[in-house]
Amino acid sequence: MSISKENLDETPFQTAGPFLHIGCMPNAINIKKLYQNDLGETPFKNKNVSELITIEGSVFDGNGIALDDVMLETWQCDEKGEFKEDTGFARFIPNNLTKKFILKTVKPGPYKGFDGKIHSPHISLSISSRGLNMTLNTRIYFESDELKNDPLLSIIKNRNVNSLIAKKIKNRSYLFNIFLQGEEETIFLDI
Amino acid sequence: MNVKSLIRRNYNKQPEVDFPDYKSSIFRAPKNKKILFPSSDSEILGPIFNKNIIGELDNNLTLNFSKNKNSPLGHKIIVYGTVHDQFSNPIEGALIEIWQANSAGKYLHNNDKNSAPIDPNFAGCGRCLTTPRGYYEFLTIQPGPYPYPNRGIEWRPMHIHFSIFGKSFGQRLITQMYFEGDPLIKYCPMVNSIADEKAKKSLIGALDTSRSNTQNLLAYKFDIVLRGVKQTYFENRKEGL
Repeated sequence: MSISKENLDETPFQTAGPFLHIGCMPNAINIKKLYQNDLGETPFKNKNVSELITIEGSVFDGNGIALDDVMLETWQCDEKGEFKEDTGFARFIPNNLTKKFILKTVKPGPYKGFDGKIHSPHISLSISSRGLNMTLNTRIYFESDELKNDPLLSIIKNRNVNSLIAKKIKNRSYLFNIFLQGEEETIFLDI
Repeated sequence: MNVKSLIRRNYNKQPEVDFPDYKSSIFRAPKNKKILFPSSDSEILGPIFNKNIIGELDNNLTLNFSKNKNSPLGHKIIVYGTVHDQFSNPIEGALIEIWQANSAGKYLHNNDKNSAPIDPNFAGCGRCLTTPRGYYEFLTIQPGPYPYPNRGIEWRPMHIHFSIFGKSFGQRLITQMYFEGDPLIKYCPMVNSIADEKAKKSLIGALDTSRSNTQNLLAYKFDIVLRGVKQTYFENRKEGL
């Protein structure tokens, strides 16, 4: 057993606020020339577009309004189930007219974790915005996959598990809406 | 077997997410309990950022947007500190991104409806990677306080937003640093969404008088702690040994 005990408290979160784009995605709001690219524009740089899937959706508040001032971040393994520290991270915002986000990425493969268990394909997703005092975490699974033995999904009881599963809308294209509140409230995770 | 897990988050030292004094949270804070589960590779691993993405002036907000080397308005400050994990290990290569208002309390952002002026020489955007000892430093301008609509008009204390990536996706942190002595801190509902006094105080950058008195700027120290990752080894001992 490890013997060391943590001795420091984690720094508290504060809301990312409405102006997070300035620091995280300046090019997206037309602050040009500071950074060559916004971080996480392309999670898998060496992949051909034909190898990618599309995940689209909106983030709805408790009034059913699709938000455009949220930032989403995703982290995932590749199609072989391998995590590589310089790929697999994406950062994106909903379009301010359609209120939809679009993530073009590799469909992750299942992986055998350091816990020895097989984890169904999923993408980790975090959401930060005005009105959220802490970043929210959830996961995107895919309806076409084998899910019933997944170590996380199999412990969820009496909750809206479908909120974690992207619906296939056409070939290589999925829908994943996020509901912050209401009857369809998405399951958020204490990661 | 080697099982890794993130130290469980202590929510007594974190802000309340459902905190109606901060009006924007009312229709955004989820109502249901979060689901706790054992850390997996997805949370323990995370993106690591290469130093070749960082430009020479990325941590100098007084110059990274200036036209013809004109200074932004306001007084210069250095904000510096360290990033450690909960076991006091320094974190090397942590990506810190910051954003802030200018000295008049105005953000360079279309959604900022405050009537204060923008500063053509200031974007309020910076980033850096921590050194092997977990150290970071930004040269910037003192951000101004500003009014915003909440329960009527309220004032944000002076602050700088911080986004930090450590080594694990589960260490991801977004927070704000405040400034020692700012009288607005105690009225701020975002600060007060944290109940624990010590946790609240840990967000206040301390004025470093020794450094301030030797350079033409004020220095503030803000240390950051990300979650620890615990490794537990289970040895399969043979019977009789």
